[in-house]
Amino acid sequence: MSALPVALVLWRRSLNEVLRVRGALLPATIAPVVFMLGISGQFGRLTGLEGFPTDSYLSWIVPLSCLQGAGFAGAATGSNLARDIEQGWFDRLLVAPVPRPLLVIGPILGGVTRSLVPASVVLIVGLALGAELTGGVPGLIALYVACIGFCTAAGLWGVFMAVTFRTQQAGPLMQQGVFLAVFLSTAYTPEVLLRGWLEGVAEYNPVTYVLELARQATVSGIEPSFAHTWPGLLALTGMCAALGALALTGLRRMDR
Amino acid sequence: MSREGRVVLALGRRALSVQFRRAQLLLPTFVLPLMLLAVIASGTSAAQGLRGFPDVASYLAFVLPGTIIQGALLAGLTSGIALAADIEFGFFDRLLAAPVRRTSLVIGRQAGTLGLSMLQSAFFLAVAFAFGARYPGGLGGMLAAVALAAITAIGIGGLASAIALRTGSLSLLQSIFPFVFVLLFTAPAFFPRDLLAPALRDVAPYNPLTYVVEAVRGLLQDDAGLGDPLEGLLAAVLLAVATTALATLALKERLRTL
Repeated sequence: MSALPVALVLWRRSLNEVLRVRGALLPATIAPVVFMLGISGQFGRLTGLEGFPTDSYLSWIVPLSCLQGAGFAGAATGSNLARDIEQGWFDRLLVAPVPRPLLVIGPILGGVTRSLVPASVVLIVGLALGAELTGGVPGLIALYVACIGFCTAAGLWGVFMAVTFRTQQAGPLMQQGVFLAVFLSTAYTPEVLLRGWLEGVAEYNPVTYVLELARQATVSGIEPSFAHTWPGLLALTGMCAALGALALTGLRRMDR
Repeated sequence: MSREGRVVLALGRRALSVQFRRAQLLLPTFVLPLMLLAVIASGTSAAQGLRGFPDVASYLAFVLPGTIIQGALLAGLTSGIALAADIEFGFFDRLLAAPVRRTSLVIGRQAGTLGLSMLQSAFFLAVAFAFGARYPGGLGGMLAAVALAAITAIGIGGLASAIALRTGSLSLLQSIFPFVFVLLFTAPAFFPRDLLAPALRDVAPYNPLTYVVEAVRGLLQDDAGLGDPLEGLLAAVLLAVATTALATLALKERLRTL
């Protein structure tokens, strides 16, 4: 059996979970919108501090919330896979004469497709409430590349957790991993305004650079440029390579 | 102790046991608020340089009341989720067949929420203290803050239980998680009320959690200018009484339609 049709069928199956289960995407879409509105309402005055690269805190937070929504959609891939493992469906897929990686590529593609919904809803709500699209089309492309890449990394993380623990109870761990990765970065303030331990952690957290890539869309102080783009792309490549290797190792262990 | 008292106690203990025996339930109630606290305290501490920010000795102690109230919200929500699971898996029907007052079933669940919230708040206070937060309000202020958070948790638990009893749907309860944060973010949980965005500042007076979180802040900092403890107590008690009544009504409605 050739590779592409298998991945496409599994991709379509994971999309059906959204299309056929009413309201399945609602919590994953509403949560980042609520966070975006809440955080910008609480900490909006931070833009008055010297060194803040924009005077609109909503513009600062929109890319963060887009990434958060995309990340949670990616992690949900792991929860769904854990359910399939628990209910025995994945065992039947394992005996199919197809390469193992294909069994997870389809669901991850499904996660990436699903992630476009929360990311776009957050962006539209943010723009409607006053966030500025200062980066134009190049910035918008950078934002979506960041979201798709981060969703893929979160999906691989979810797959790794699913094939390691093989239970849906690992679901919160998958979500918390994404939560931690996003917030241990320049989530609330730029690096120059971070204090204490978070300053050091954010510098080494690859998500800081993914955020910089995404913020080219809406933050006036981070204009679209190669200098703001390549660290994010490198970070995404590194995260996907490392987490992909872990997921594949876990999959191979399942065979034994 | 009366028989009903023993029932309430037993159900409260069961609710706590379920919580502590399932690690995946502990993660959102104990770990998530602390993670958010750590990130906010470190990520936004430069805010102390803003004009109009209150003069406080420790920024961590200033934002901690937001974490305590977040914990209370999650404890209340967890209680509703557990009740919905009991309904969906049939355990609640067996409880209904027991020769006890029906209201004891609601109050017993609320007793578990109370215990969970008290443990949570004490844990958050201790962890923040270890990381440098100081409480000029002393032991009295800390105990009062824990009590306020526990009453608030009962309030949210009542609301979540009412929804669980009305719908009996575990997935619905799990999906209202984001809406809990609406309550948190429309109160001055992590920032002074005067420095909130204008729209939020206009909404905050209508959110009972505004008075509770400010009261907790005032109690811990021993500064009534940061929050009036009596206003906080009144808001928390009114919320708890109203939502427990709602849950009791929802139970009666459920029994009527069985």
